[in-house]
Amino acid sequence: MTDFDNKLLDILTRVFRIERDEIKDDLKRKDFEPWDSMAHLMLVSEVENEFEIFFEDEEVVDIWTVADLKKLLKQKVSP
Amino acid sequence: MKEILESVRNDPSYLNLWSAYKKIQDLNLTVPEDDTNTVRLAVIGSTTLEPLAACLDVKTRLEGFHVETFVGGFNTYRQEVLDKSSDLYKAKPDVVVLSIDAWSILDKLFLSNFVRMSIKERHAIQNELVDSVHSIVSRLESETSALILVNNFVIPIFTPLGVVDNKQKIGLKRFFESTNNLLADKLEKSSRGFLVDLENIAGAFGKSRMIDWNTWYRGSIPFSNDFTPILADEYVRYVRALKGRTKKCIVLDLDNTLWGGIIGEDGIEGIKLGNTAPGIEYVEFQRSLLSLYNRGIILAVCSKNNLDDALKVFREHPSQVLREEHFAAMRINWQNKAANIAELAKEINIGLDSIVFMDDNPVERAQVSQVHPDVLVVDMPKNPRLYREMIENLNVFDVLSLTSEDMTRGEMYVGKRIRTELEQSATSIEDFLRTLDLKVRINEVNDFDTPRVVQLIGKTNQFNLTTRRYTDAEVSDFRKSDDVAVYSMAVHDKFGDEGVVGVAIVKKKDGDWWIDSFLMSCRVIGRSVETAFLAKIVADAKKTNAVRIIGEYIPTKKNPPASDLYERHGFGMPATSDDNVISWILNLDEQTVDVPEWIELTEV
Repeated sequence: MTDFDNKLLDILTRVFRIERDEIKDDLKRKDFEPWDSMAHLMLVSEVENEFEIFFEDEEVVDIWTVADLKKLLKQKVSP
Repeated sequence: MKEILESVRNDPSYLNLWSAYKKIQDLNLTVPEDDTNTVRLAVIGSTTLEPLAACLDVKTRLEGFHVETFVGGFNTYRQEVLDKSSDLYKAKPDVVVLSIDAWSILDKLFLSNFVRMSIKERHAIQNELVDSVHSIVSRLESETSALILVNNFVIPIFTPLGVVDNKQKIGLKRFFESTNNLLADKLEKSSRGFLVDLENIAGAFGKSRMIDWNTWYRGSIPFSNDFTPILADEYVRYVRALKGRTKKCIVLDLDNTLWGGIIGEDGIEGIKLGNTAPGIEYVEFQRSLLSLYNRGIILAVCSKNNLDDALKVFREHPSQVLREEHFAAMRINWQNKAANIAELAKEINIGLDSIVFMDDNPVERAQVSQVHPDVLVVDMPKNPRLYREMIENLNVFDVLSLTSEDMTRGEMYVGKRIRTELEQSATSIEDFLRTLDLKVRINEVNDFDTPRVVQLIGKTNQFNLTTRRYTDAEVSDFRKSDDVAVYSMAVHDKFGDEGVVGVAIVKKKDGDWWIDSFLMSCRVIGRSVETAFLAKIVADAKKTNAVRIIGEYIPTKKNPPASDLYERHGFGMPATSDDNVISWILNLDEQTVDVPEWIELTEV
């Protein structure tokens, strides 16, 4: 597992309070109760701080699954 | 639960605190029946306060409390406070944090138009702002018995007036500064409303970092990830003080702690202690310690040294700030420090959990904390230039009101030391007590002594028969009731005035007087004043033709010194109830308790 995946998983497990192996790419904001608006805000700001990037408001709204977040984040961190 | 808390203890980051809070919520814990260790928190205000509440909740749990937290809605604090049936009141909070952002009350164009406003307009707006907050606090004071922690306002960094902001009678910065002063004035006399100095805490942390503009605009979260736990720490200080978890005594090492170098090797001229560097850092550390002593923190010494070498510094070194007279007790010898500290606690008569230990040597620290987990062993910085900062940031000595007894406690302990010396020379305990010229004043508590009585109820652990903690509000209800009497006892002897050191709460029911609470500061243990105290209660009970006096005793880990009080004074027929309350009975038609002949009862 890369450092990148590790850091992201670390944030996700703590924000969602679940184990690493429970975090799947198709985990959906709409169907997963702990992923409420407060958790979403927390997730976004922790990822921003950890990876020293910045999400546009539209991007924040459009993160619906773990896969969405990963994809967006990869775009941001790769030069 | 233990596991969750252990993980935050190791890494108390914002995300971990929040995650722990959520996990604990998921556990759906039930409230333990014993309420003494429970703290009900409420956090309300004008912004999104769940993150702050989460940090406060978990940090309070880390102090060993069971916690229930109510978080108010976004900017709904007014409704919550005004509506008597709101969830806020249903939560029955012990502590309410009120975090109101000034900008949520001010007009949207306040900043834009400030420069054009007249001085009169500015004052009018200021008064509105103060009244708006104060009315909420007053309402909370009358509707709850909670401690109310009100954030003051952060003075903005920016002002449109630029560098001439303070050339105006009330520039933008002074507007907020004086608003804070007005709020402080309003709350100065309140026993339950406290103005939390957010402005100062933010300044110490760095105002530019106290807010994260991303989360502010996205979710109205008022404090940044790094600042939120720091602010929560500030509230925890009040919780600790409320629950009597206050440290009372600092035990200090000498070499490389109070001065630089080793007195036994470097000699009095060789140690670092003086008004220039190197040595000034130790002098300043001592000055901070003296400031704590002057407000009632007991100081003691525990050092591996030759006694004469060490005393020479106290007596002869021109730059030494702390002198022998500032120390309630000293252990300067070659014994191990854990044993010395146990002796010190016994001599000074305080619990180990009231002690803070400061020593530059990590091995000594480890030994003490292993033997005495209850002692707060401070992780001293390696660099002595940081000692002063360390003590000033420790924040474990808070009390909710400072009484005159607090201010002179140090002197009282010196009196105690001399008394002990006298005791050792007297042939019998009665002879010794006779030499003290003890004078005791016992009466139903007056307004003046009530804050001290509440303080004693909150923090006395050892000579406390039932350890029932009552709030300021409960005590004032007792005082108003005809069926309850709240007594205070003040003690004076030839070495000094101890002030109010004893409290008893008596509940009268069907001709019986129930001693619900009976407690005494450990300072006066061994002077038989408890006998005088009981005698006074007995005499008062007889005056009202009461039949029996029933004394209650609830054993705890800490109150064995009080365990035989009733038995010693002729109470009999002990009965233990289901909730572990042992009641002792004194039949007034057959028995009595007399004031010892060496004690003089004085009138108010």
